[in-house]
Amino acid sequence: MPQQKKIHYPLGYWQKITLSIWLIALVILPFADIEISSFDPFIELSRMLDGLMTPDFLATEYLFQAIIQTINFAILGVFLGLVLGAPFALIYQHPIVSSCCAFLRAIHEIFWALLFLQIFGLSPITGILAITIPFAATFARVFHDIIIQSSESPLESIDSRADIISRFTYGKIAQVMPQMMAYTRYRFECALRSSAVLGFIGMPTLGFYMETAFRQGNYSEGSALLIIFIALIGTIRYWCPAKLLGVYLVIACLTLVDTPAVDSSLLIRFISQDILPPALKNITTLAEVQWSSLSSWFTAILWYQAIPGIIATITLALVALAATHLVTLNVHVLASKHLWPTPLTWLGQLTLLIGRSVPEYILAFIFLMLLGPSMLPAIIALAIHNGCVIAYLAVKQSNTIAPPQMQMSKLNQFNYHIMPDIYPNMMALMFYRFEIIVRETAVFGILGIMTLGFYIDSNFSEIRYSNALVLITCTALLNVAIDILSRRLLKLPQNSQTSC
Amino acid sequence: MITIDNLNLHYDKTAGYNTDKKETSTQVIFDLSLTINEGEKVAIIGPSGAGKSSLLHHIYKQLQASAALCSQRQGLVDNLSIYHNIFMGALARHHWLFNLVNLIRPFKQELSNIATLCQQLELEQPLTKKVDKLSGGQRQRVTLARALYQQQALFIGDEPFSALDPLMASRLLETILKRHKTVIMVMHDRELAMSAFDRVIALDKGYLVIDSQQQSINQQKITALYQTSAVA
Repeated sequence: MPQQKKIHYPLGYWQKITLSIWLIALVILPFADIEISSFDPFIELSRMLDGLMTPDFLATEYLFQAIIQTINFAILGVFLGLVLGAPFALIYQHPIVSSCCAFLRAIHEIFWALLFLQIFGLSPITGILAITIPFAATFARVFHDIIIQSSESPLESIDSRADIISRFTYGKIAQVMPQMMAYTRYRFECALRSSAVLGFIGMPTLGFYMETAFRQGNYSEGSALLIIFIALIGTIRYWCPAKLLGVYLVIACLTLVDTPAVDSSLLIRFISQDILPPALKNITTLAEVQWSSLSSWFTAILWYQAIPGIIATITLALVALAATHLVTLNVHVLASKHLWPTPLTWLGQLTLLIGRSVPEYILAFIFLMLLGPSMLPAIIALAIHNGCVIAYLAVKQSNTIAPPQMQMSKLNQFNYHIMPDIYPNMMALMFYRFEIIVRETAVFGILGIMTLGFYIDSNFSEIRYSNALVLITCTALLNVAIDILSRRLLKLPQNSQTSC
Repeated sequence: MITIDNLNLHYDKTAGYNTDKKETSTQVIFDLSLTINEGEKVAIIGPSGAGKSSLLHHIYKQLQASAALCSQRQGLVDNLSIYHNIFMGALARHHWLFNLVNLIRPFKQELSNIATLCQQLELEQPLTKKVDKLSGGQRQRVTLARALYQQQALFIGDEPFSALDPLMASRLLETILKRHKTVIMVMHDRELAMSAFDRVIALDKGYLVIDSQQQSINQQKITALYQTSAVA
């Protein structure tokens, strides 16, 4: 009697990866704080939905100024970021330049703003610099990648007697200009989001009025501001064509709110006194340094703030990664033209637009109002925003795939033809976004979730700048480490054009 | 002008250029000796894979200082207009500031020079058109125009007419020969090579097999060269 041989069918690469993401998330879930601590989330939810149905566009007193300031910060931030960052793209291969840029990039706009807030106060300089610095570091890196990936052959065909500037502009810059323009346009959208979010720490942008409205329970006003913000991002290409950028730049400079004079004594005091650890204040020579008190100060921060903060940040980020995966898979189905008739896919596209336009920070804030302070609002916010971003890109890719010449149902076709095609790219995008998830997770601390940002924010409000600075450095190093690790482990494609 | 003595060339297939490293590459030119004098018009012919391009690029490297190269790897910048791609030939003649301004706002003098050049090369397309919108033959003529616009005494070309019809090829060849004192060109059209050049060099499997002046070209020998190679 012939014995049936047991057929061994091992798991595929992406199956293993997917399974491990979910296993990790399930293992650490018991340690994550996901309790719903709000008394009755449904009353709040129904009031919010009510507000969404009855948006009140006239409730905000300084609405027009808020929109203008949001745009101004974004335009000036991107412009200065370009001016400062683009030259570094040419020398980015130098390890010192690239590691400095990685460090600057790893500190979130909000942390930069918290720092500058201590020096410049609520001046526009704070908002603009907070966008400029991380954006400059990102431009340097991405432009460098773009230039490296461009073709060498035009440069080879240029007469070698020509000077280097002419050869480089005609042979390289002219070649990659469209890509650099497209990336700058995309970053402008990111800058608008960042600019709005800066309102949450007091800058006079849309976020400021949004936070006030939501905190006071004026949901009609809040939803109106949210709608305006989504519309602003969704229509960038109509109100900000490349040709008008110069005009907008001039307008931005003219309509900037009055910049108070920078108090230089404040700046000097901040650098020479405030940011020094207690053990180093008021000393004149190195001999006076009390090394034991310095080291106990440092260990205390590390032990009671940095390490718990880092653990919470990573826990939250890993659970959020699995949740993002779930949202991506479900949401991208909504807008696929392979499954639905065209009018329905528009509805799906609108869902994706709303999901990716609202910054994670604002989403987290709204869910925090609903569910009370725990990791849950942050997980939901990260999953919705990142899931929609990845789904948007996945739909873009899947819609270009031609349906197979075979008789099968739409669902079968989707599962057997479309999904296998786009899944690897989808996963790569998701791992790329993991770095962004970690960065964003740290910032959620400001909303009261116990990640690194929570400790940073508390230290700022207790005027312990030295502690805050140590923690910000820890956050940046954590981001840099995760970036290096994920690149090594997953051998991701080197381009970072989907970063935000 | 140039004398080559017992040349051996290796071609690195993975890297795609001539190399001295012998392990990863295959030898493409064997013990080749050749002298080319100023004022000569030399055509290089031979079946594909004979080593023509390798020899040509070797010659170009030696004579780079006074030569304009029209390579098979066109190296056009897709994002720039016909005008700017052709102007790239003149980059070495101007200060970098002139070149930068010209990139934003073309100079009238250069515009009219290049318009005339395009007319001579039968490239009747608006100068503002981007080169990624052009057909293969039109792109080849833009590459040719860029090499001509270098205005050198020596023209080195690697099958510059491969995408053009034979009649146009012979008209353009005439223009090139008229404008340059010395011309060294790999030709795929051997009839045209034999009728228009002073001197024809034939390569086969890396060896120089024929080197003759126009009057004494042995038609049968050349035909035989292509036939045996085709069989092998």
